[in-house]
Amino acid sequence: MTRWFEDIVVGETFPLGQHTFTEAEIIRFGKLYDPQYFHIDPEAAKAGPFGGLVASGWHTAAVGHRKMVDALDAEAQRLRELGEEPGISGPSPGVDKLAFLVPVRPGDTVTYSMVVTGKRLSGSLPGWGLLFNTVESTNQRGEIVYRAEFAAFSKLRQPA
Amino acid sequence: MPPTAARRYFEDLKIGEVIPLGSQTITRDMILGFAREFDPLPFHLDDEAAKRSLLGGLAASGWQTGALTLRLLGEHFLTRIASAGGLGFSNLKWKKPVMVDDTIFPTATIATLRRSASRPDRGIIALDLVVTNQHGAEVMTMTLANLVETRAPGDQP
Repeated sequence: MTRWFEDIVVGETFPLGQHTFTEAEIIRFGKLYDPQYFHIDPEAAKAGPFGGLVASGWHTAAVGHRKMVDALDAEAQRLRELGEEPGISGPSPGVDKLAFLVPVRPGDTVTYSMVVTGKRLSGSLPGWGLLFNTVESTNQRGEIVYRAEFAAFSKLRQPA
Repeated sequence: MPPTAARRYFEDLKIGEVIPLGSQTITRDMILGFAREFDPLPFHLDDEAAKRSLLGGLAASGWQTGALTLRLLGEHFLTRIASAGGLGFSNLKWKKPVMVDDTIFPTATIATLRRSASRPDRGIIALDLVVTNQHGAEVMTMTLANLVETRAPGDQP
């Protein structure tokens, strides 16, 4: 998936595409993973802190993760079409911080992008590097919905 | 009657309170279903690719471990207090992979409580979440921040 560690450019921004959240999928995710009334009950939500139904923050972030995986895959496909062997993405060791800034309501369209803010060789895993990424997402009004800073392992083309 | 009537409010919560959150076993079908929807990386979808990966075998998406932990936190805590929405989380660490048929046991501890500076009707609670597996090993930890309604002035606790 995507590029080798050596070919990742710090500061490069990757557009990740967008997603429109329907009421049905907000409620479905809420019932499965975040069963608070303002995520699952449109009527009760009217009297709640957001004045209506809003998506679980974990939902908007999980969709953002999916968008990132799809973008990594698209980059790998692009490299294959150029006759190059794509790199290998590893798992993530964690998320430094994720802030939910503006709620996502039914019908909102969220646009996601990612920037690589740093990279270094892994101290614990020979042959792997760590990427430091920030995903930012904005709604159709240009408001930042959430921002996530997280790390991800990336394989070296030439093990050090 | 407001949706949060009869729930615990900010003033009812205590630093150090430990909230057991039950458990959840994660099946192969759950791992594949979540991965197809939110995290279609080979090591969450394919046994052979997973064996060759850093995870050493088919493992749940970390986002799934988090989502299932959130569900248990919702059932056991957030739907029983006057929650006014999540602010985010920090220091999330995926320490060990959650493999097929592993059971996760999350626990939440109230780490800090403070009044919102901008909203007198809100407090901010920080929860330390520790998720262990059936072997007692930590698989995920994080600190989650959530808004909680305060009692209206004059309300009796």
